[in-house]
Amino acid sequence: MMLSESVRNEIKKWMDLYPAGRQRSAILPALYVIQREFGYCPVEAQNELAEMLELEPAEVGAVVDFYHMLHTEPKGEYHVEVCTNVPCMLRGAGQCMRHFEEKLGIHHGETTPDDRFSLDHMECLGSCGTAPMVSITERKTGRIRYFEELDSAEDVQKVIDLVNSGKAFTTLERWTPEGDPKLTGKAAGPYRVGGMEPRFLTARVGKKDSHKIETYIADGGYETARRVLTTMKPEEVVEQVKASGIRGRGGAGFPTGMKWSFLAPAMPHYLVVNADESEPGTFKDRIIMEYDPHQLIEGIILSAYAIKAELAFIYIRGEYYFAYTRLVDAIKEAQKKGFLGEKIFGTDVNLRIVVHRGAGAYECGEETALLTSLEGYRGHPRMKPPFPAVEGLYGKPTIVNNVESIANVTHVMRHGVEWYRSFGTEKSPGMRIFCLSGNVKYPGLYELPHAVPLRELLYKYGGGPQFDEHPFKAVVPGGLSMKILSADQLDTPLDYESVQAAGSMLGSAGVIAIDDSQSMVKVARRTLSFYREESCGKCTPCREGTGWLEDILLRIENGGGRMKDLDLLERIPKFITGKSFCPFGDAAVWGLQSNLAKYRAEFEQYIAMTNPEEEPPVIPIRPIYRPDVGAPSVAHDSALEIEGESPLNRDTPILVTGD
Amino acid sequence: MTELVTLTIDDRQVTVPKGTLVVDAAAKVGIEIPIFCSHPKLDPVACCRMCLVEISGPRGMTLQTACSVPVAQDMVVRTNTPQVKEVQEANLAFILLNHPLDCPICDKGGECPLQDQTMRFGPGLSQLVEPKRTKNKNYLISDTIVLDQERCILCWRCIRYLEEWEDKPQLALFQRGGETLIDIQDGKPVDAKTSGNIIDICPVGALTNRVARFAFRPWEIERTPSICTQCSMGCNLRIDTRTHKLRRVIGRENMQVNDQWICDKGRFANAWVNHEERLTTPLVRKNGELQPASWSEALGLVADRLQAIKQRHGADAIGAIGSAKLSNESNYLLQRFMRQLIGTNNIDHRDGGDVAALPTGVPALADVMKPQYGPDPKHDVILLVGIDPSEEMPVLDLHLKRAVRRGKATLVIVHPRRIELTRYNGPFLQANPGTEVALLNGLLRALTEAKEDTSSDAHQLVANIKLQEAEKVCGVAAEEINKAAATLAGAQNPLILYGPMVARGEAGVQVRQALINLALYLGKPENLAYVGLEANSQGCRDVGLLPDRLPGHAALDDPTANELLSRLWGCTLPTRAGKTYKQMLDAAGGDIKALYIMGANPASERPTWAEQLDKLEFLVVQELFLTETAAKADVVLPGVSWAEQDGTFTNLERRVQRAPKALGNPHSKAAPDWMILDHLATYFDAQWGHANAQAVTAEITQAAPIYNGLTWEALGDQGLQWNPAEHSYVRPDMRYAPAVQPELSESESGLRLVTGTVLYDGGDLFRLTKQMKNMAFGAEVRLNPADGEKLGVTEGESVTVRNTYGALELTVKFDATVKLGVAWIPESLPGAPVGALLNGSAIVNVLIEK
Repeated sequence: MMLSESVRNEIKKWMDLYPAGRQRSAILPALYVIQREFGYCPVEAQNELAEMLELEPAEVGAVVDFYHMLHTEPKGEYHVEVCTNVPCMLRGAGQCMRHFEEKLGIHHGETTPDDRFSLDHMECLGSCGTAPMVSITERKTGRIRYFEELDSAEDVQKVIDLVNSGKAFTTLERWTPEGDPKLTGKAAGPYRVGGMEPRFLTARVGKKDSHKIETYIADGGYETARRVLTTMKPEEVVEQVKASGIRGRGGAGFPTGMKWSFLAPAMPHYLVVNADESEPGTFKDRIIMEYDPHQLIEGIILSAYAIKAELAFIYIRGEYYFAYTRLVDAIKEAQKKGFLGEKIFGTDVNLRIVVHRGAGAYECGEETALLTSLEGYRGHPRMKPPFPAVEGLYGKPTIVNNVESIANVTHVMRHGVEWYRSFGTEKSPGMRIFCLSGNVKYPGLYELPHAVPLRELLYKYGGGPQFDEHPFKAVVPGGLSMKILSADQLDTPLDYESVQAAGSMLGSAGVIAIDDSQSMVKVARRTLSFYREESCGKCTPCREGTGWLEDILLRIENGGGRMKDLDLLERIPKFITGKSFCPFGDAAVWGLQSNLAKYRAEFEQYIAMTNPEEEPPVIPIRPIYRPDVGAPSVAHDSALEIEGESPLNRDTPILVTGD
Repeated sequence: MTELVTLTIDDRQVTVPKGTLVVDAAAKVGIEIPIFCSHPKLDPVACCRMCLVEISGPRGMTLQTACSVPVAQDMVVRTNTPQVKEVQEANLAFILLNHPLDCPICDKGGECPLQDQTMRFGPGLSQLVEPKRTKNKNYLISDTIVLDQERCILCWRCIRYLEEWEDKPQLALFQRGGETLIDIQDGKPVDAKTSGNIIDICPVGALTNRVARFAFRPWEIERTPSICTQCSMGCNLRIDTRTHKLRRVIGRENMQVNDQWICDKGRFANAWVNHEERLTTPLVRKNGELQPASWSEALGLVADRLQAIKQRHGADAIGAIGSAKLSNESNYLLQRFMRQLIGTNNIDHRDGGDVAALPTGVPALADVMKPQYGPDPKHDVILLVGIDPSEEMPVLDLHLKRAVRRGKATLVIVHPRRIELTRYNGPFLQANPGTEVALLNGLLRALTEAKEDTSSDAHQLVANIKLQEAEKVCGVAAEEINKAAATLAGAQNPLILYGPMVARGEAGVQVRQALINLALYLGKPENLAYVGLEANSQGCRDVGLLPDRLPGHAALDDPTANELLSRLWGCTLPTRAGKTYKQMLDAAGGDIKALYIMGANPASERPTWAEQLDKLEFLVVQELFLTETAAKADVVLPGVSWAEQDGTFTNLERRVQRAPKALGNPHSKAAPDWMILDHLATYFDAQWGHANAQAVTAEITQAAPIYNGLTWEALGDQGLQWNPAEHSYVRPDMRYAPAVQPELSESESGLRLVTGTVLYDGGDLFRLTKQMKNMAFGAEVRLNPADGEKLGVTEGESVTVRNTYGALELTVKFDATVKLGVAWIPESLPGAPVGALLNGSAIVNVLIEK
């Protein structure tokens, strides 16, 4: 037996967290335990876990392979992952990666000979305002810490020194070179937060001990929950939230109250908080969970009460390890105070919150994929209908809401509908945390009412272009999935309707500014690389299409483009958007479609410069059928020979040699 | 009455039941919507996106997947708009993008849905100029299935089959995105017993049949609809032949029997049909050696010797053993030959007269089936006594799993081993071997208690029984017995199946009585069924291959049957009951001087019988191979397999099905079994004059009134059931009677022996398929690990298993499904005849010696 008794007990504890008969849900936490124990997930350990969970071994293997944070081969003691996604790329992630490669003497994808460091590139880690950055995983504990704003080779050296000094994991709060000049491993505190005054969602961020329950209570925290639970009916809460017009902050902007009202009556109900913040350019949920977790918990209490759920899950992306620890601690604090658990606030209401870590899959941000993942499967989206409100988690009526949406519920219930509607517009009421990243002077989070003009966000709060000599060329208004706006659209007000009218969507309010020094070909290529990497592989158009597009863009980027490739780049996305299983297909190509529509000239220029003769690509005359072509086929064994040919058989004798 | 819905597809109105999927509704009016992931017997996943068509909805006409959207009243569907066509082309372009297009060397080429769809709906031109992705090719995921990951288009059909039907998701998606591939967990090959069905449903050449690999191109083969003869299910299949060889077996739909699934033994284990060891000429023993002879020489000798022995010792000195592996026609003629031309009732087959059977079989297989679209099974509780469908009838196992998981059925299991079906948490009564009667009496007692019955006949029968005693004798907790009783008490339409394992010998008679009591008490005596294990176990009984029954289950002294048969055969019938299979073999060399053995191999079953056979004056064996028994024969008559002759077989639900001739070896002199007997009859101056097997089938319909009307033509491709309700004399007179638990010799030490059938045994029909050799049970004794520890033996160790009857050399294997205090040695293991340790009664103990 590979799994020791203590490991088994630890896994069993995880299994107990989930409802009876749903122990499969513990598969990701259990694999984290296994990975911490062995440094990776050995097949034998997977098989033993399968036995514990009463699964076939292949079911565990399939899950391990799906999630990128789970390894089937050991990584180094410290696993350095450099975010190279677009927001980081715009601020020099490539440079940062090169520095690490030079300092560690390895290429990305490799491990140092002393097994100390592994280096990999990584998709968006939700640290876009503090780019470039890396996350480092400590193998023996499984803990993860972010190291941010690594602008220079010296900064990178500091990170390596810090790790080597053994002080890198004294805390898990983010680290910056500026925040810790003496290299003691000291935390840097929250990143830049600003916007209107007073602020609500981010009001406490930056205050001392903002994450502690005492701080929250001192601000009047949990009073709303107490009042609502003791004086209001759940239906009244739903009505108030409906009247407030809160729209989902995850990306689609669906009215939260309306979603709640679709809930089927069958019990039990579940509330699932979508904290799988993975949309490149988005890092708002992270700060709520890291620096004001009680605001979220109070929102969960209110929302769960409204939808009559006694069990709530927070599905948090695996990379947000610090936020995860803060949530777990905050839940313990709240439990101690009697705000969670049985008979909360002295009422008959019960509520338990389980924090469930994802393991590195963007697709799990899609609500049905999130539920599938939470149930312990690969994070594939499910068919709708039935919608989660009818058949969601474990086939029961379930509401899935984004962290920021839930946080808004707290404020709506505290200050009332009228107050809430005094911000923003009729159809996009309330305030919004805008995540500003890319080529601006002051990237960060800005809490502003909806409909603030894009220009105001970029100039007044963002301080204008990062380099004065490079004006803005393009802006992604709502996370990397959304269509690109050009520089002449900066007066667009940032509310759902206006951004839509401008040809894009407000999405998750991740605003990525791109200046004129950046190549739109590279932006397009890196965008597609992300979607190719993160496609779950379920449906044909997305699985095949994203790879094909990336291949073409890579070839163009590497100087092998032809003008007619641009027609292909225009044609292929048409058969992905609206044809794929889930909205991922749309997200994957909207950026490219708008990019090509607006900056086609730049693509043409790039091709003309890099491949003036339009040399056609060199492809094999015939596809290579086998990677081991020339070597004997694995199926070539004597057992395949057909026996007992009749002597009168006029065919040539059948000799099986494998293909 | 199902609600009907009318919708419009391409301007054509179609009315279908509510819940029908658009793709099926379209098919109904002949409109083909291309599909890959969709399959009529699997849940929709809508992942291939091939079936996108325009469907009306709240947002107007939108592209939706026809495979997942159910029809709605007044729905409008368009499948032929320019947009739909464009999307179909684009989707096929995506699917073909990384498909290797190695059609010239792909087994699927010629019958490949991807090829067909590409021709019909594809773009005709690739715009790909990047290199194709490469993945693993020729990759074994089990001993019988080859996976080509490059050809796979990720439709998930195989995964869904293993999940939804087999409940063994041993194939899964690995990696993700463009790298996604189907695979097994490293080192854990697929071992589901019906795994081969994933080959049939694979829409490309990703999963291919290792046994049939590269043996044909689909356009060269001849296809014959047939049935499987590996067990009593009678699954429908298709035999594909080319150049006088069986090349492949695939499943064929019969919604009354096997849906469209067949098991791996039926699919892959058929190398024996074309095997070079097959007998191709009659053999006659000369100077102690079997030597080739002509048919006339061989048959003449058989006739002469049998007549001589009959004259010297009387007709009852001659016996015949038929085979439940062979057709109704062969077995019918064998018993006619013995009764008419020899004049004896010494006619039987293995598990024939020695078994306490019931004549009427399972009411209907369809009543335990839960097809993809259809009502729940009619039986809500199924009691299995001494049968292990997973090893004995894998497709029944498939039906039962499905009935439990999707059809709200509950299984109650009585078996000495923790068989696979116990995983569904139904009541499991793991009775000590041989204590079934005590257990069933206890169960009836618990049932009367559950129904608070203190006065009925049944209560009287078991009033003195105490559950605590049953618990002690059987080793089954009273609580579990009560649980089973509660389940049965709540059943609307229970089904009770029992098998030969508990029906043999004297004890079997008592088990049958205990079951009859139970079935009567549940009010469903017609739902109590004996299930034989061989392809024609039912048919052999139906056509009178029994020492005490005439064709049609008539008693020997039944005047109507006597009159009918003597008129039909032109003779008077012998009236003295004959010897059973076991009695004949035990008496071989004694009272029995000559045996005619057709398709049976008793010499391999029990060493004592092998010795007895040597003492016979004359032994004729009609066989496919020179078996242990045939090697002892004076004359060996070469028969042909089920695939090489016309014949009918009757499955466990009394369905008579055709197995037409699919091939024949032109270089062989071997002949159909019925024809050999028909010719032999001429040497006895009888002119039966059967022109073909169909003529024999026709004669059976006259000889056995239960088969009335079941002629070859009438049976068709799906077979017909004979109806016991129309032939009430067949149904046994079931009455309450005490069932007595046989005495168990408490003094015996050692472990109690449990035997039984396993799917992958050492029989000829399995072992000759070389590719499957690693799947077979070895010569093993399986012990509970705790017993192993107590005995101080380790896994893999060689031991001698011994009792007063004999000894066997076996390897130890630990198996947690084996009960404490039990040694499990399956039947028909290669070189390990467990019969060596038996003397007929099922309850013996063995000692394990190092």
